[in-house]
Amino acid sequence: MAQQRMSLWAAEDIDEELQDVDLSLAIGNYGQNGFDEAQIPPQIDESSIIAMQQHMAQQAAFAQIPDVVKAFIVHFHQAVLDNNLNEITIAYESGWNKYTEKFYSRTEWPEAEIIAPLVNDDPIFLILYRELYYRHVYSRLQPDIDDRFHSYENSCELFNYLLNSDGPVELELPEQWLWDIIDEFIYQYQVFCTWRSKVASKTDEELGILEDGGGASLFDALYIVCSDFFKQVWSSYSVLNVLYSFIQKSKIHLYIEATQQGKSVDEIAEIVGPYGVRPLYRMLGYFSIIGLLRVHVLLGDFTLALKVMDNVDLNQKSPFTRVTACHVATYYYVGFCYIMLRRYPDAIRTFVTILNFIMRMRQYHTRSYQYDQINKTADRMYALFVMCNALSPSRLDDNIASAAKERYGDQLAKMARGGEGALPAFEELFLYACPKFINATSPPYEDPNAIAQILQDSSPDTYVDPAHRQLRLFLSDVVTQSPVPTLRSFLKLYTSLGSQKLANFLDVDEEEMIQEMMVLKQCSRSISRVGGDKNNLLDGQTITTSDLNFVIDENMVHIAESTVGRRFAGWFIKNTERTQRIFDDLKNTPLPTPPKGVTSVSTADTSTKQRPAGKVAWGNVTSKP
Amino acid sequence: MASAWISPPTRPENIDYLVSGVDRYNPSNVTILEDYLYQQIRNQEYDCLANLAILKLYQFNPDLYNPDVIVNILIKSLTASPLPDFNLCISLLEDKPISATLDEPDPLPSLLPIIQELHELLDRCRFPKFWSVYHSNELENLRDNYTVEYAGFEDAVRAVVVRAVKATFTRIGTERLGQYLDLEGPELQAYVKNLGWSVDQSGTVINIPPNPDNQIEATVVQENIKLPQLIKVISHAAKA
Repeated sequence: MAQQRMSLWAAEDIDEELQDVDLSLAIGNYGQNGFDEAQIPPQIDESSIIAMQQHMAQQAAFAQIPDVVKAFIVHFHQAVLDNNLNEITIAYESGWNKYTEKFYSRTEWPEAEIIAPLVNDDPIFLILYRELYYRHVYSRLQPDIDDRFHSYENSCELFNYLLNSDGPVELELPEQWLWDIIDEFIYQYQVFCTWRSKVASKTDEELGILEDGGGASLFDALYIVCSDFFKQVWSSYSVLNVLYSFIQKSKIHLYIEATQQGKSVDEIAEIVGPYGVRPLYRMLGYFSIIGLLRVHVLLGDFTLALKVMDNVDLNQKSPFTRVTACHVATYYYVGFCYIMLRRYPDAIRTFVTILNFIMRMRQYHTRSYQYDQINKTADRMYALFVMCNALSPSRLDDNIASAAKERYGDQLAKMARGGEGALPAFEELFLYACPKFINATSPPYEDPNAIAQILQDSSPDTYVDPAHRQLRLFLSDVVTQSPVPTLRSFLKLYTSLGSQKLANFLDVDEEEMIQEMMVLKQCSRSISRVGGDKNNLLDGQTITTSDLNFVIDENMVHIAESTVGRRFAGWFIKNTERTQRIFDDLKNTPLPTPPKGVTSVSTADTSTKQRPAGKVAWGNVTSKP
Repeated sequence: MASAWISPPTRPENIDYLVSGVDRYNPSNVTILEDYLYQQIRNQEYDCLANLAILKLYQFNPDLYNPDVIVNILIKSLTASPLPDFNLCISLLEDKPISATLDEPDPLPSLLPIIQELHELLDRCRFPKFWSVYHSNELENLRDNYTVEYAGFEDAVRAVVVRAVKATFTRIGTERLGQYLDLEGPELQAYVKNLGWSVDQSGTVINIPPNPDNQIEATVVQENIKLPQLIKVISHAAKA
């Protein structure tokens, strides 16, 4: 398989080097096999020629690799051999990206087989190299069907090596890389599922090829997807299997429990066993839990997604926060689950926490290669935050609220108004910000008749893509809530009013309106984690989410509003702390040396001139609040 | 409240083991979970997470697909309103593969829109409309083949009504409540009495006892400073 792909990939090179290859091949044959030539059966001769050609193509490709890249690969390999975490991290985080930008921004990195001589055919390094190679293909280029299968194969080889060697392996990898391995594995699974489910509906132009008879290869490719041999590839079961294996091998749940109980290092080592003590396995176990969370969300199972997070502390001190990308992803998926569980206050709290974190770390991470990705996720979370806020208005955090308004002010206005006009805004933001949902099962490629039938009636009604399925469910709740904002705005004006009068205002039937009031009541209650069990994301208790409360006494509506007094203390504490920091910084800054050529008299002069001005400025500032 | 939903007290140990472990993915366990579903239907119990586990197995193994079980799960989750259980179940139902072979015609495609309509009516507290749709001729199939098996289905719907009414009203007209509950006369009297609610002398209004949701009070929430918030400020002052 690998060789076949090799020739496909190197096809261009072969063309370019055509004369070279022929020439050296001829020389080789004359030099060594001249005598036997006639006796070799033609087929074997052909295959050996192909092998030779491939070899030459490989050499040619090898020659094309820039020397700095060769040196980089050798250095990278040495770092992995030495288990030198520091060097590996540098090679992984900057080297790889640097040379990607420089040489491979639009093409693949050299095939693993081509660089193999540089690393003494070290199988483990080649697996790791392929992991990076395919990740690059997926993120920068368009993976073809071969890439999809081979990246899966390679992931399996890597996981096999980690999980099924005799005992734990010695390898050490940076945490960031470990997260990326798990993350990429699930990403490729998701991309594969999307691609697989789309084939049926998008093959209009490909159908034409099929009719001409020239599309056999395409059809073969589809068939491969579902032949028994390949049924395993990227199946949901195989993906879950990998994640659960890491979780069990590392005994990560026992580890988490033991650390929460404050056990000593030795005790923990005894509990988690030979695998769990190694950082590589421990972190893979940890990241696999987050991976499960993500897979279950993609499959639309929001309760199970939160349930696998049992025991995982969702706070800034948790180990998963050491890798920012993981930290952000965790909160994104947890928050999204809460939305689908109609627990909007919990979703809001989740998003506010992580968005605050992202806001604060922005100054440190702008140069990180993941910054773009994190920023995109943050943007989507702002959109989700705005949606939640429209459904369950809250005043949790002014910073985030105003940042969200900057981005999605128009939509927020429409959504908060309720009614029919709100739906398109909800739809737009949901589809933009939701995870890339997938179908767990494949269309029945193994049955050409069924496929033909799907292709025939692939009208928009019969095929609903998973994201739209989830959208419908979400919108059903939005529709239920749509009269709420209007009702609320009327109730705010009164302390008591007759239901008939209210119905007249709204121009609706009184009984309808009263039933609507029960909806309003239900919308202002939610299950929330506030005060609940910290280690269980599903748990919670019913809380009131609205400051407007009402009750109906037969036909009279009584309304009471609770107001939140202005919060001064938080503001003062925040600013006192900021001032203290500035003061400390100032105190620790060395005095500026006076510029040469300026006399001491004149400096004294200017400083006295400035001082009063400074005082006035201060006076202004302090008088403002 | 939520903890009873995550793990109902009626859930047997072996089911709990299945639901919280890796064994939930094993297709051969589907019959155990399906039996448990029918036990819930007979004994007026409800276990959302266990039922979701069935749908999860169907999602991964289309050959297990059993429309009767799905209909029963959906009806069960209807009466959990206003919790989102019904949507959580629907979320796991993918487009059914066309090649799935069944002995009888699949009842799900025709029943699903009906059940979804019932769900929408309950979710939007349109109780009188719910009953009229439920008793309509079109729903005969659903009543005769499914809800008839569900012990206390109508009472479970009434429990949804009671939850909504109890939170919204301090007093409610007898006639109005009767429409919501689909009860009248002595039946209604008995039902109300059973809830511990009292009918006033005229018999036209029912008093609903106070509960956390039907007590309203205008409050001003004041901020409350706790010591930990001041730690940085104080410790800095101490250092200086």
